[in-house]
Amino acid sequence: MNDSACRSRSGLGFVIGSHAFLEVRLADIGQLRDRAAPRGSPLLPPRFLRHADEHTVVGMQVVLTALAAHPAAPRIASHGIVAAPCQPGRIVGAKTLAEFGRGGGVTVSPHVVPQCSLHSVAGAVSVALGMHGPHLGVGGGPEALGEGLLVAAALLASGGDPGCTGVWLVATEWDEEPGLDAQGVPLTNPACRGLALLLEPVAKPDDGGSVVAPVSFDIRMTKPPHGPRLHPTGGLVAFARAIGMCREGGALASWAVACPGGGEIRISSRFQPAVSRPAEPWMRGAA
Amino acid sequence: MDAGGGMSGLKAQSRPEREPVMITGMAAVSPLGNTCEAIADNLFAGRSGVTVVEADPTARTPRQFVAAVAGVGAPAGIDPADFAQLNRLEQMCLAPAACALADARFERGGRPRLGLVLGVGAEHLKTWELDYLAGGSLVFEPRRDPSLVHRLASRLGIDGPAVTVAAACASSGYALALARSWLESGWVDACLAGGCDILSPTSLAAFYNLRALSRRDDDPTKASRPFDRGRDGFVMGEGGAFFVLEQRDKAVARGARLRGELAGVGMSSDGAHMVIPSSDPVQAARAISAALTDAGVSPAEVDYVNAHAAGTPVGDVAEANAIRLALSGATDGVPVSSTKSMSGHLVSGAAAFEALVCLAAIDRQAVPPTLNLDEPDPACPLDHVPHVARSHPVEVALSNSFGFGGSNLCLVLRRAA
Repeated sequence: MNDSACRSRSGLGFVIGSHAFLEVRLADIGQLRDRAAPRGSPLLPPRFLRHADEHTVVGMQVVLTALAAHPAAPRIASHGIVAAPCQPGRIVGAKTLAEFGRGGGVTVSPHVVPQCSLHSVAGAVSVALGMHGPHLGVGGGPEALGEGLLVAAALLASGGDPGCTGVWLVATEWDEEPGLDAQGVPLTNPACRGLALLLEPVAKPDDGGSVVAPVSFDIRMTKPPHGPRLHPTGGLVAFARAIGMCREGGALASWAVACPGGGEIRISSRFQPAVSRPAEPWMRGAA
Repeated sequence: MDAGGGMSGLKAQSRPEREPVMITGMAAVSPLGNTCEAIADNLFAGRSGVTVVEADPTARTPRQFVAAVAGVGAPAGIDPADFAQLNRLEQMCLAPAACALADARFERGGRPRLGLVLGVGAEHLKTWELDYLAGGSLVFEPRRDPSLVHRLASRLGIDGPAVTVAAACASSGYALALARSWLESGWVDACLAGGCDILSPTSLAAFYNLRALSRRDDDPTKASRPFDRGRDGFVMGEGGAFFVLEQRDKAVARGARLRGELAGVGMSSDGAHMVIPSSDPVQAARAISAALTDAGVSPAEVDYVNAHAAGTPVGDVAEANAIRLALSGATDGVPVSSTKSMSGHLVSGAAAFEALVCLAAIDRQAVPPTLNLDEPDPACPLDHVPHVARSHPVEVALSNSFGFGGSNLCLVLRRAA
């Protein structure tokens, strides 16, 4: 167990070190594959996202955006990542099946499994940014965000990687699932939403100021009887908005939602001073 | 430990005292049988579950080598007519999940706060494919259906947290790791965890086109040859396993049978490549070392290593180097085998199935063999168990699982005390 995680009998608490939220139209995702990363974020290997699923492209961009917004330079090599996409790989999956129906196994791309499975968003971010903490895909369905929150918190608190100093939670979903024709070509232009949170252990006072964010994040399981299994109220957009308001110290000081299995996720303001760290070599544009 | 690559953490460290997490129920479906006894019998007899199927015209080869599950029947408590309506992935998950719960023998009406963690890597791709091949059009329709894990939870009467996790070939092992974490956090009193996978035409084609599958076309039972000089890829299989996990005090209090202890978990990522395992063994070794530390076990106390070794030229060497690095001087006395030589590679279900293999090794005090290990690759210098099982005292067993994207997981299984 990570000693600095705030733990009670049935609750886990963390701080949100950084966050970002993006919405990108399907038509714009193609150019995002090759677009330069935000200033202050790491460089990706050339053409790294060429075969990536749309959820991965948006997930990568939102992590880079959150990294660029981080007030310090986190030790990303010691981070893990939990990515919770909702129905990833559907557009590629539809094209693959349509082509398979016409031409058989020879038409199936070798990239489908590594790039369009549930683990692919987490795998791509982990590889691109050189993360050595664990990486996991979670959810895959309509309740992906709630599932991702449960897994990310548990992963950071578990003893599986004692060197892990932070876990990213990345959630992605279409605002409306794209309609596809019989060849797998999209008929609509929905927006893919992406949320990235960096969860870090609650720092102890003698840690030298490793707390860099003013927002806490707590998960607590209720005792039986369990409540109904719920997606966080309002979904990803409402969740992202609540985090943003808490981080800005706005009127919303606390926000709680039910999570799968009768638990509760509570986000609340926790004002603590930010402490800068030296820039790491991969930080572009750093002083 | 230095997550950035340092090996300073490889020494065993003290760990905080905590209640051990025990396995109190288990079940599997696999190419080697659908009961724990049949699976163990086949493993220790060195029987291969790999067969040849005459492939249809869409397949990449006219004769396909696979390790298939012969058939799965409706478990007790599930209406056979309803079961027959489920797709194959749901059947292959529901049957062992229900059997594992039954094996845990909770008293009627006395079931504790129960969670479910399902390790499946490509649920939606498989579901869409099964539907498409049956003439459906789900994949083209703008809809969102409930995930398999929530349908399973509903059928099994599980009302606690339920999640799906995926880490490619390590998926079902991460399910066990996460369940253990939930128990230690007090979120659940017991947790059903495991995973399963199924063969499908497009996944076979994708792995073939990726050049990950063996291209041998003579004897199917000779195709899967981990650590052998002549290995040329893995044989795809299907199946998996599920376990009920509980903390020891609660399990003992209700009189549960203790089948083994999930004593340690270690995890890491290569951060190197989307498909190819890193040639640098440090991160994989770090996962093994972390699992040992988590279990409070030194390398010298390890009695058996069930290797991930799928039979790929690069992956087997990378794992051998990681095992040697993590176990250091203890390597020579620790038997290592890869049971994928018999079961094929169960992909998402592999890690849970191989945890069950480790429990069988502890139960039978023997190490299952690596079939087809005619000429061990000198680049994989380990204490192999070729061809036939070895009688050997096993109190502590390691199970490695490594997945696409450089996902590394090691579980430590220990005899129940």
